[in-house]
Order: sequence, then structure tokens, then C-alpha cells
Amino acid sequence: MPERAASPKLYWAIGAVPLAAGLIVLPHLLSFSQQEILVLLTINVLLVCSYRLLTLTGEWSLAHAVIMGIGAYSSALAAKQLGLPVPLSMLVGAGAAGFIAFLLSFPLLRMKGFYFLIGSFAAGEIIRLIWKWSELTWLFGGPKGIKLIPPFPDIEVFSIDFYDPANYYYLCLIVVTISLVILYRIEHSRIGLTFHAIHWQDKLAQSVGVNTFRYRMLAFVVSAFFAGLAGALYAHYVGTVNPNRFGVEEMVYILIWAIVGGTATFYGPILGVVVLTVLNEVVLRALNIDQMRPMLYGAILIVSILFLPQGLESVVPKIKGWLAQRRQKRAIAKPPSEAEQPAK
Amino acid sequence: MTTKFALSLVNRRDFLLTTAAATVMAGVSMPKITFAADKVVKIGFLAPLTGEVAAWGKPGLDGCSIWADWVNADGGIKIGDDAYKVEFVAYDDEYDPGKARTGAVKLIKEDGVKFVMMLGGDPWPGVSPVSDKEKMLFSTLLPSDLTPETKLLVAPCEVHPIYNVTGVEWLAENKPDLKTAVIVAQDDSLGKPSVATYLAAFEAAGIKVLGDPIFFDPATTDFAPIMSKMLALKPDIICLDTCYADYVHPLTEQAFQQGFKGQMISCTADFYPKMVEKTSKEFMEGFIFQFPDFDDPALNAEHVNFRKPNDFFQEYVKRFGEGEWSAVSWEYASIMDLWSDAAGRAGTTDPEKVLEAMQVGGTGKQAFGEAKWWGKELFGIDNALVGLWPVVVIEDGKARIKEFKSIPAWWDKHKALMIKHMEALNQMYYQRS
Repeated sequence: MPERAASPKLYWAIGAVPLAAGLIVLPHLLSFSQQEILVLLTINVLLVCSYRLLTLTGEWSLAHAVIMGIGAYSSALAAKQLGLPVPLSMLVGAGAAGFIAFLLSFPLLRMKGFYFLIGSFAAGEIIRLIWKWSELTWLFGGPKGIKLIPPFPDIEVFSIDFYDPANYYYLCLIVVTISLVILYRIEHSRIGLTFHAIHWQDKLAQSVGVNTFRYRMLAFVVSAFFAGLAGALYAHYVGTVNPNRFGVEEMVYILIWAIVGGTATFYGPILGVVVLTVLNEVVLRALNIDQMRPMLYGAILIVSILFLPQGLESVVPKIKGWLAQRRQKRAIAKPPSEAEQPAK
Repeated sequence: MTTKFALSLVNRRDFLLTTAAATVMAGVSMPKITFAADKVVKIGFLAPLTGEVAAWGKPGLDGCSIWADWVNADGGIKIGDDAYKVEFVAYDDEYDPGKARTGAVKLIKEDGVKFVMMLGGDPWPGVSPVSDKEKMLFSTLLPSDLTPETKLLVAPCEVHPIYNVTGVEWLAENKPDLKTAVIVAQDDSLGKPSVATYLAAFEAAGIKVLGDPIFFDPATTDFAPIMSKMLALKPDIICLDTCYADYVHPLTEQAFQQGFKGQMISCTADFYPKMVEKTSKEFMEGFIFQFPDFDDPALNAEHVNFRKPNDFFQEYVKRFGEGEWSAVSWEYASIMDLWSDAAGRAGTTDPEKVLEAMQVGGTGKQAFGEAKWWGKELFGIDNALVGLWPVVVIEDGKARIKEFKSIPAWWDKHKALMIKHMEALNQMYYQRS
């Protein structure tokens, strides 16, 4: 009877157990400051994965950092001004980001490619100017932004204090895991396939009855919802938001994480944000070369783009191929055992 | 030939392994440089060391390294019965509140610092919960961070932007024929309170501000249209507010290129020799700002508390170059003078006890003279040390102190104006969200 090949789902399940165990144990292996970095990294994983959902339709936005800011500002205001519980405020923040994206999609999604890119940048800058506008300082705090944002409430029954980065990391881990599962399911559903179709053959998709505007809008709104959620997680942890925090520099980082990681696979941007954050915040900082750090970071980016034009994600199939080749070579080199030898 | 011979004896892998092992062994076996007194007190330096605001972080750290070398060479600081060497531990917060929080946690919980100096501004609200939870004393150069809640935050050196009133007051006294001004500033947390201060100072001095202050986005790179807009109003005075060095330089160049012949005033003129190079000595003659070079003979006045300012400047120039001297080169060092004095008097490095010792009697030795702990009306808390501040003017390409003027004296006369303009720009502590 031929041996039945294990299904990919089984491989995933087997791989997920040590991964989950590793993620749970991780904060206990790190120093205090590394735990802080881990919290921000986890939030950024959600941010960059939400960005990838939009790129599935072929559009690259320059407003994603600002949309994260909408989530952060809205959640902060809901908790501080309206007195809503923080968990509910976070959902309000995410919802507000999704709603603003819905409104923006009417003018922006009439454009495509480069024009969409520039349009999204302009829209983002308008929102940032509104946050800074002196007439609205009473609401958004002007250039200084909003301070003393209520933190996530402690769970006193279990003595869980969310000031502790390890505890906040677990909260983020739960939220981000659920979000990533949703994003993954969307991508692998019929909707996700339609996003891909719009990316590669939008005219063909239209010709078979796909409303490309609606699907692009859906991708924009869903990606904004999760970017807003990332912003809300950030706001209630750091306790402050200001317009500069969600400016061009942050947007450039999102683009770098996505490009260096690669956007062809679900894990590409995750690889990008994890590798580059560890490199920048842990490795380069440990070298005590503060003023040289941006230069080295830039050099590493150039090298990675030169030698890995398909992103870090392209390393994974290469490693898989190399391992398979090695296994094959070993199997050929190995002499057959006596039992396997044909009877004389 | 030699190379070929060497390669024949040692292959590349062996050579690399041997070199790496030798390096590691050298690192392990070399004795670490230690001081006679092994007790060390660590001080945190949490400021932007990279990015556009780095000019107000890195030169300060450089100044601290001189301060530490001098103090340690003198045997360290005496706290209780022991002498402590001082060691600075720096963390680049990149002017980002999230990174500043990470840095504060690292400095306090991993490096064991006893006091943290910050530039302040945007990063402070991210650090504030850490200060509260860990009961750590922080200092800021920007007192607009102060609120009634910031009990463990002090502004013991620079009371930005209030000292800017001294420059305008001196200008009005010495050049009474100048009657109109325009103000330009970047639209951020440093620019706005500074604009309110200049508006109050100009009004108090009887100088009319033409049009509304011009706020530009911090991402601006082309300053030609901004300067054209200002010059169109034909002002006697161009006020560059508290623009960062990256803005002061191009704005000044634009003023020069577009033929401005009037008076310029600015909070800072960091790296001004470069501005003189790019424009001319004649153009820069009379440029007023607030931060002296410390080789100025006026700093040897009896009321100045900063130790050996001229020697400090010479040492700074020797180590880092004259062009690297900036507004903050001496400021963090002067805060260390205050902290070490207070820790010595408290006999402990406990942050709350050091703060208590620092504020005893309601006065303190600020760099330029005896000063008082002040700020209740403007910041809601008396955690800013205010006294004399120098007015600096560029003469023949060199910055020179013209006069030390009293900030409290101006405040007593004109505080209503200041509060009016601060309120108009939503900058009072009770208006900041």
C-alpha cells in the first residue's frame, strides 16, 4: 500500500505548536527594554500585514501611517473625552479608521497606480494638518497631540498590570493573532482571489462582472480597520499621540518593511518587520554607534534589495529547495539496506 | 611573495578563526579601565542623537563627556561618605515617544541610572508613566512639558521659550527705531509656545507684528517662498522663533539671497559660523539670539555658576571642533552641576530626596546666576529654575554676550501679555490636552 503524504494543514498544525510556545515564552527570555521593543514590534506586525491586504489589489498607499493615526486618535478621544472603556475605545478607533477610509475611497479609488499613490499622500497630509490645526487644538491637541491617554485597564482579579510590557505583549499577541487569522482567511477566500484578479487582470475581472471599485474599496476599508486597531493598541500603551508620529517617516518604514520582506506571501511583510526591527533596535543599538546607525541601516537595506530583489520571503523557498536537494542527494548516496536488496 | 608564503602556511579559514579568537581573547583578558574609587553613579541621557532634532541632543552628550572627565579627574562627586565617579549612559530616543519609553525603561531598570536628562518635547509624554511608576527624577530643556502632574520633572537650566523675551527687550532698548516684525516658525510643539512668547515680547516692547505668524510644516525643504512672503510685508525685523538649525540656516540664506537688509532675531543660531560662511559677515552683523559661545569673557562674571566656561569651550572645540558647538553643548552639563550639588547635599542618589534638596529654599544655582523655582502660573508647577539669561549678538562673525537680563523682572511687568498670547495659541498648561 503506498504511503499517504501528510497534508499541508498537518504540517501547519505541527509548526504552529512550537511557534505558539515560542511566542508565549519569548518575553521571559528578553530584557525589560527588549520587551518594550517586542510590544511595538507586535503592533507593527499588524500594521504591515494590514498594509499588505491593500497591496493585493495592486494599490500602494502613502496614507497608511495616517490611517493608523486615525485609529490612535479616535481611540484616545473615545477613552479620554467620552469616557468609554478602553477595549471598546479600541474598536471605535479601528471603526473610525475604516470609516474614514470608506469616505476617502470615493475620491482616491477613482485613481490608480502612481496617481493613487500621490492622492493617498495628499489625503494623509490633509488629515495630519487637521490634527495640527489651531482651531481644533481643544480636540486634537495641535502639534503636541493628545497626552495622558488612559491605559488598558488592569485586571485586578489576576493582578495583571498592563504597564508591564510582558502583559501588554500578551494582549497584543491575542489581538494581532486574531486579526492575522481574519486577514489570512480573507486573502484565501473568494474575496481574496478577486483582489488578486483585480491586481493582475482588472479589465478581465470587470468583463466577467466583478465590480472592481467595490472590491478595491473593501480592501482599503478592511486594511484601514486593522491599521486603526494597531494605532489604538499603540495609543493606549505609549499614552500619547501626535501628528509627527504618523508622518512621512513612519510611512517610509512601513514601505521598507513591506518591500524588504516581500508582499507575495502572507509571511513576507512579517519577516521584513521582524528582521529589520531586530536589526535596527537590538543589533545596531548594541553596537553603540548611534550616529552611524541610520547609515548602516540604509546600507543593509540597499544590500538586501540588491541581493534579494524578491524580498526576504524569497529566502524561504530557497532554503526549502536546498533542504530537499540535500535529502535527495543523501538518499542517492545511501546504499540500499539488505532488506531492500532484490533476492538473488 | 610574502603573501603567497603566508597563504601557503595558513589557509583562509584558519586565518579568520585565529584572528577572531585572538580578538575575543584580547577583549576578555585586557583589564578594564577602572578608577581608584570604584563606586559609580550612572546618569541617563535620553535625547535624539540621530534625526532632525539631533542637533539638540548629541552636542549635549559631548558636553557631558567633558563634564564627567573633569569631575572624575577631581575624584568624582561626594555623596554621603563616598566619592562616586560619574558615568553617562545614552539612549537615542529619535524624538519618538515610543522609543523614549523603551529608552527610559532600559536606563532605569537595566542600567540602574539615578537621574535621567532629556531634551523633552514630543518624547516626554511617552516617558511620563515610566517616571511615575519608577519614581525617577527627569529633567527637560523644554518646560512646556511641565504640568501640575509632572512632580518628578524639572526644567533646571533652560526655560524655553520664556527667555526669548530678553532678546526682544534688549533689541527694543538698543535699536528703538525698529518698529515692525514678522515671525516664522515650524508648526510643532516647539514652534507654537515660542511664537506666543515672541508675540508677547514684541507687544511689550511696542513693536508691531505684521500679519499672522507664519507656520510652516516641519517637512518643508524649500524656504524661498516662505521668505518671499515675509519680505513682502517689508518688516524691520525678521524673527525666526525657535526654528531648528535645519530651518534657521536655509531661512537665513534666503533672507540674504533675497536682499533683506534689516534685523534678524532668533532663539538659536546653532553652528552660526557656517551661516556666516554661506552669507557674509556684514549680513550676519547684529544677528540676535540667546545662546552664547562659552569662550565669551562675560561668562567670567561673578554671578555665573557654570564652572570654568572658557576652559569648557576650549576643550569642546579641541575635542569636537568649533563648528560643532551648539545651544545645548553646555546645558546638560550645567544640569549635572545642579544635580551633583543636590545629591551631595541630600547625601543620597534617591530621586525624590535629590529633588527635595535641589528645591530647598525655593532657589537654585542656575548656570547664569542665582535663580528661583518658578512656573506655577504658566506651567501649573514651580519646577522651572528661572533667573538671568544672556542676550547674544553676532559681531564681526563672532557671537558675543551683550547683556544678562532678568526673566522674572520681565514676567512681573508683562505676565498678563504672556498669558494672553499663550491662551490664544492654546499653549497654557490647562489647554494642552
